[in-house]
This record gives sequence, structure tokens and C-alpha cells, in this order.
Amino acid sequence: MVLMLSKLCLLLGCAALACGAQAQKVFPYEYSQDDLPNGLRLITVPTDYANIVAVYIVVQTGSRNEVEPGHTGFAHLFEHLMFRGTPLYPPEKYNQTLNRIGASSNASTSDDLTVYHTTFSKEDLDTVLAMEADRFQHLKYAEPEFKTESLAVLGEYNKNSASPFSKLNEVMQNTAFDKHTYKHTTMGFLKDIQDMPNQYEYSLKFFDRYYRPEYTTIIVVGDVKAKAVRAMVDKYWGEWKRGSYKPEIPMEPEQNGPRTAHVDWPSATLPIVSVGFKVPAYNDATKPTAALDALAYLAFSNTSDLYQKLVVQEQKADSIFGNAPSSVDPSLFEITARVKKAEDVDYVRDRILETVKAFQEKPVDAARLDTVRKRLRYQVALRMDNSDTIAQILSYYVALKRTPETMNALYDQYATLTPQDVQQAAKLLLEKGRTMVTLTGPGGAK
Amino acid sequence: MKLTISLFLLAACAAAQIRTVALPGKSPLVTFRIVFTTGSASDPADKPGLAYLTAQMIADGGTKDLTYKQIGDALFPMASSVNAQVDKEMCSFGGATHVDNLDAYYKLLRGMLLTPGWREDDFRRVRDDAINAIKVALRGNNDEELGKEVLYETLYQGTPYGHLNTGTISSLEKITLDDVRAFYKSQYSQSQLIIGIAGGFSPAFLTAMKKDFQALPATAAPQPRISAPAAVEKSRAVIVDKDTRSVAFSIGYPIDVTRARPDYAPLLLVSSYLGQHRMSSGVLYDRLREKRGLNYGDYAYIEYFPRGMFLMEPQPNLARHQQIFQVWIRPVEPPTAKFALRLALFELDKLNKNGLTQEQFDRTREFLGKYVNVLTRTKRAELGYAIDSLFYGIPPYNDYLKTQLGKLTLADVNRVIKQYIRTDRLVIAAVTRNGEDLKRQLASDDASPMTYNSPKPQQITEEDKLVVKWPLGLKPQDIKVIPVSEVFQ
Repeated sequence: MVLMLSKLCLLLGCAALACGAQAQKVFPYEYSQDDLPNGLRLITVPTDYANIVAVYIVVQTGSRNEVEPGHTGFAHLFEHLMFRGTPLYPPEKYNQTLNRIGASSNASTSDDLTVYHTTFSKEDLDTVLAMEADRFQHLKYAEPEFKTESLAVLGEYNKNSASPFSKLNEVMQNTAFDKHTYKHTTMGFLKDIQDMPNQYEYSLKFFDRYYRPEYTTIIVVGDVKAKAVRAMVDKYWGEWKRGSYKPEIPMEPEQNGPRTAHVDWPSATLPIVSVGFKVPAYNDATKPTAALDALAYLAFSNTSDLYQKLVVQEQKADSIFGNAPSSVDPSLFEITARVKKAEDVDYVRDRILETVKAFQEKPVDAARLDTVRKRLRYQVALRMDNSDTIAQILSYYVALKRTPETMNALYDQYATLTPQDVQQAAKLLLEKGRTMVTLTGPGGAK
Repeated sequence: MKLTISLFLLAACAAAQIRTVALPGKSPLVTFRIVFTTGSASDPADKPGLAYLTAQMIADGGTKDLTYKQIGDALFPMASSVNAQVDKEMCSFGGATHVDNLDAYYKLLRGMLLTPGWREDDFRRVRDDAINAIKVALRGNNDEELGKEVLYETLYQGTPYGHLNTGTISSLEKITLDDVRAFYKSQYSQSQLIIGIAGGFSPAFLTAMKKDFQALPATAAPQPRISAPAAVEKSRAVIVDKDTRSVAFSIGYPIDVTRARPDYAPLLLVSSYLGQHRMSSGVLYDRLREKRGLNYGDYAYIEYFPRGMFLMEPQPNLARHQQIFQVWIRPVEPPTAKFALRLALFELDKLNKNGLTQEQFDRTREFLGKYVNVLTRTKRAELGYAIDSLFYGIPPYNDYLKTQLGKLTLADVNRVIKQYIRTDRLVIAAVTRNGEDLKRQLASDDASPMTYNSPKPQQITEEDKLVVKWPLGLKPQDIKVIPVSEVFQ
């Protein structure tokens, strides 16, 4: 399953704020964080939610790591291959074991991470950790199975292809980036997906490079005791060998002017306009990441002036949203609107650009910034109502910096954010770093 | 768990008129599910979509005192919302808030449900959204959901379930704000109401809340009689023609099994064995995807499960008196479409002939007995399931299912397989480009040879010899091709 980070950010409210300097830490649980000698990290969070345990295994490898031409989409393909079995647990046995324990299990991949997650009853923790350790260390699949699995990836591309937002995202990334691996989506270029069946040898190399303890963090949340979890992880994961590979991710050269692209969508749809601006990488030691997150809410959420004008009053658009990235490398701050009539696309685009300009010219009202702080604090609190979601939220932060403290550090930035910080962040949205993509259906040619 | 049961029963019995499901706890969150047992089955025959528009106006419009913007501004810092879900027999309004904001949130929720604003500008926006939900989100951008809904519409023709919950475009264009007001007045009553609340609220809070909702009329207009749809006498297919990359299939037929019926647990076990939603353990997933790489996944259902492409688990409060058995084949490449369909039917036939083994039965039963804990792990889900249990007149779902599963034998399951699993007398819904071409293929008994990009074990190649000529039992006159622009129009 491919997870689009922009969606994830909206879902998690990754732009989270604390209400004041004395506020309780946003991640309220006590946890233990252990590093094994081989470089594997274990984070255990005991909670009061009875009986259930969630295990999330985060590999700091995503489509960002696909540095060689012709092999885009491999991090995601690998997520699929990890279900292809080992000598000890062939796929049937693996599935039957998960079945017997009544587990909910899946995996997802995005730009910067691949995460494997299983949620189950507490008495089965030993079984899950043993089985997961086995596949991370002893995955073995033959070429015929590899070829079959690559077709399931094509099937995933096919089911996604019915949505114009998938295509829009593909074109946005391909247009905005020249060198960096964010140029391709997590699914990868279609031609590379179609060529995957011929890349068995490369897949073995990919596993050997990235499925290593130094790239991996195990998050265990739920009805558990940290000491017992550590003992199980030592037992099953302690022998895993550290690797040595470090990818050279190409730096994206500075963009020197605005770019545009257009998508002709073959079937009926409302037109979509999306504007992306290159912005810095995630950083919780400075203000911009936090301030851009706040900007997305202030300028483009459903209480923003722009939303009220375009969606509620004039009703020229049926949705508008902004998304600030939290990526390992510089990425795109994106604003997307779905427009009701093709003739209004330019109008909506111009209002979006005007809004960006207005936030660059004038600091936002301090009281409004406070409502954003409150919202984001409650947003996270409301979601942390079960062990599975707590682990899911953590996995996102762990992918960035391998510790729950990432989340607390970001909140600390929010606690001291000023209207001027938001204004400075808006000034990062430069015309020369802008990419605009429009999409229209039949009869809506631009 | 015992405590939960007693509270549940107590709450359900306490109010003479307003049914209540209360799950108090220490959580700093309070979750609401306000359900009215009315829905699109109560739409007037000439106004499909009326229940949907009414619920959306409540959740996505202003109140008498507050505009839509004022409500949005008030909810924003709480990070809360009020979301509507409309199905055939239930309209539910859900939301959660931190106890810090309980009073403020409840005031908004109460205003929305008891004193809606019915403003023209809200109506214009909400109606546009509904039309675009059909035109764009469903017909344009989601072939899989489109196929599923076409299947439902086809099977339920001529019954109160016979139209999409959202309605049709032509009907939505005609419905007026007066129609919405009238629907609200006649359907949103105490007799149809179930108040669901969970988390850190006080008994006094709930008492006050129930008193507030007594402002609703005591009874609703008569509800439609939900009878079984006509039996499918002969297999037929509906092909939606649109410009798309691959072929999405949904196949199914009505069943007279709901949670309240004795065959629910054994049939649930069968559907889980065939294809547990989004899990790699099902037979269909294994045979179509894992062994043959035909698509992204394949699953089976015995209860309505909308938005399956976005959800890992079923949503509560879609309780119905009528259900269908359904197989969902995710998009396949056009050259392998007929083979994939044949293979799914071949597997159903195999199941019908062979039944389950003791090991398969034990494993699937064990899975469901534990998985139900995962399904009900949040207060929100527990509350939703509890409301559905009230609807069906069964004990809390978690206990109910475990008890029913505990009583099952392999013989019970193999009996329901014989009774309910079949490969004839079903409806096939497909979404594809070149609909006429697919029609020609489906109407023909020609083999659909399958080639793979890698060698397959003998067992697969031997099976394929049967699959490639598996009879679909369709004649040209059994297959209808509809341009996408006419679907739900």
C-alpha cells in the first residue's frame, strides 16, 4: 500500500502545537528507547488500553532511496516482497499464523519510510516478534514468485489510476524536481513498474542494502512490559547483521523560475489546480517547519478567509487545502483546489497566489495563531485513543528522527511560534520555486 | 466486559422512548454517535437522495443561531467535527471531543441536530457537493466503488433499497429546501433516535442530553417495509462503459442473513475464509493475487461495506434488514479480465463442492474470535457496534460473535456453504473501457487462455485448464452495457 505523505500529514495533524511553554509534552506516554549493539532501535510504550498490542516496524527507506535510474518504485515493491516468505515461514504458514492469532496486519510505503504493522492480542507478542524477525533476516523468494508479485504492484497502480489526484501528484513531482528522487512518486514511473518483472537480481541487492538493523526501528505499543519486550527483541533480532550501504541521494539544484504543467484527464472530472512551492527539509531545531505547518492551517484550512470565499460564499471551488511537508529532504508545500467550472480555474489560481502574497506581506493575527495551536493539540489528543493509532503516529516521527522526542521537539517549536515566524515562513514560498499543475476533464481544455 | 454489558442493557432499557447506548469510562475523550433509524429507504419514490441531503444539511450547514462559518470557527480549535453517514435504514451523526470542550461541543451538536438553519446558500453548496459526489467522486474517479454500487442498485431494483444513498443527479437537481425540511420533520423523531455516547461524561450530562432530545417529535412517519428483493433467477451482467485503464468487477446476490439470524456466524466465517477485507489470508486473495498476480486483492462480504478502497475495517452504523453476498475483484488488466472473473467463480464452486476442512474451520474461527477484539478496540467502534446490536436485537457484538462462534461446528459451516455459496443466479457488475467488447467476451464460451511471466506449479497449470473454459452462463441478452454518464443519472 502506498501512503501519500501529504494525506498522512493531514490525517495525523503533524503540524501539532502546544498551548504554552509549560504545556505537558504532546507525547504523554512514558516509553523506553533501547539500541541493540547491531544498530536496531526498540521503542516500547506501555499503555492502559487492555489486551491489544501494536507492533510497527519502521524502515527508513522509501522512494527517496531509489537512486538508480530504471528502478523507481522498488521500496514499495519491496514492501510487497516482504510477504513472500522465508524457509521457516513460507507465505502460507505466515498468513495462517497471522490468521490464527486474529491479527490485523499490513504495510505501507511513502517517500521516506516503509512501515510494517501488526495489531493483535497481547498473548501473541512473542509469536509476532519472532515471525517478523525471521522475515527481516531471512526473506527468500524465487524469481517466479518475484515476477508474480511485481504484477500485484501493477494491479495497485491500476486501481490508483482511476483517481485524477494520483495523476496530478505524479505530474507535480515530475515537473517540480529535476535531480532529487522526489521526482518520482512512491509507486514509481509506470515504465519502471512494467519492467519490474525483469529486475529480480536488483531486488536482492535492494534487500541487502536497506533491510538492515541500522535502518530499522521497532515500535511496540500497548498492554506490554518494556523489559519483557526487550528480552524478546534481543532473542529474535539480536543476531541480525549490520550493513554498510549509504545511498547518495542527489541534491536538487535550486529552481530558477516558475514551472507549469497540465493534465488532460480522459473521463469526466472537476478541474483541479495545484500549486507547489519548494520548501526546506523537516527540522524541529528551527522555526520554518512548524511555521509552515501553521501557515497551511491559517491560510488554507476550512476556517481560512480563502476557503470561506471560494468554497462557502462564491462556491466556485468545492474543496481547498494546503499541506506543508515534513520530509527528510526539501520538498513541496502544496495548495490544491478542486474547481467547479473550468472557466474559473485561473480565477481560483490567482486567489491562491494572492493569499500567499498577503501572508508574506502581513503577520497573521496572534489570536488566530492561538486557535491553530489549540486545534493541533486537541487533534493529536483525540487520535491517541488506542494503542494502534499511538504506534501509527509515532511511526511517522520515527521515520524522520528515530525517536518519539521528534514529536515533542516539534511541539516545542510551536509553543514559541510568533506571527512573524509565520510571515517569514510564507516568504519561503518563492515564485521562482513554484510549480503549478492543472488538470481538466474532457471539454475543459486549458 | 461484564460491566459494559450491564451498563449497555441498563441504558437501553432506561428511557421509555429514547433509546440510549452509554459506555461511560475514564477517558478524557467523549464520543457521540447519534443515530436515527431512517435513511435512504425512506426517500420518496420521486426524490432519491432526500435523506442524504437532509443529513448533509445538518452536518454541513448552519443552525438557527449560527452560520456554517460560525460553527466551523467554533469547532476548529477543538479539532472536532460532526460527520454524517447515510445508509438505507440509518442516518448517523458522529463526533468526538476532549472533555475540556464537552459543553461547547455539545451545544453545537445539539443546535445542528435540533435546530438546523436550513439556509438557501448552504443548500446550494450541499446539493452541488452531492451531485459532484456522484458525477465526479463516484462515476469519474472510483471505478471500484462504482461497480459495487451498480451491483447493489441492480439487485435491489423495485425495493426501497433500489437507489444509491446519495440519490440520482436528476433527482438531486429537483429536490428543494422545503423537501428537506419536510423530511426532517417527518423522520427525525424520538422513536427513530438512538443516542450513543462513550467516554468521560457524567450521568447528569446524559440525563440533560436526553431531555434536550425530547424536543423532537415523539414519532416518525411510517417506515417503509423492507422486504427481500426478487431472487436472481438467472445470472446477468451490467457493464459500465467509461474511459479507464483496467476492469473492476463486483459480483453478488441477495442473502436473507443479517447479524440477528442463526446463519450469520457460520456465513461470516465462510466469507472470512474466502476473503477477509484487505487481508492476505483469504482464498481469493491467494489464488488471484498471490499465485497468479492478477490484481491487487480480492475479498468477500456478507454485509454492506462502502468505501472499501479507503478503509481497512468495516464502519458501524450501516445496519440493514437485507444484505447481499458479494465478491470484490480489484481492477485487472483488460486481457486477463475474463480469466479473473472465471477464476473467482471457479473458487466459489470449489468451496461449494468441497466445503472447509477441520483445519480451515478451526483457523478461521480462531481468527474471527480474536479479530473482533481488534475491530472494537476504540470506544468509537465499540459504541458503533453496540448501537448496531441494539438495532439487530442482539447482545454486544464482541460477546455475541464469540458465543456464536463457540457453538459452531464444521458441519454447520459446510451446511451454509451448500446453502449460500453458488456460481449461478448472480449479478456481475463491471466497469471497463470498450464495454461492448467485454460483453462479447462474457457472452461467449470461448476459452480465455492465460499466460504468465514466470513458470507456475503444476497444480496451478492444471487448475487453469479448467478455469479458462469455466462457463459463465451468460447470453448476450443477459448483459447490459451502460455509458457511465447514464449511471445514477
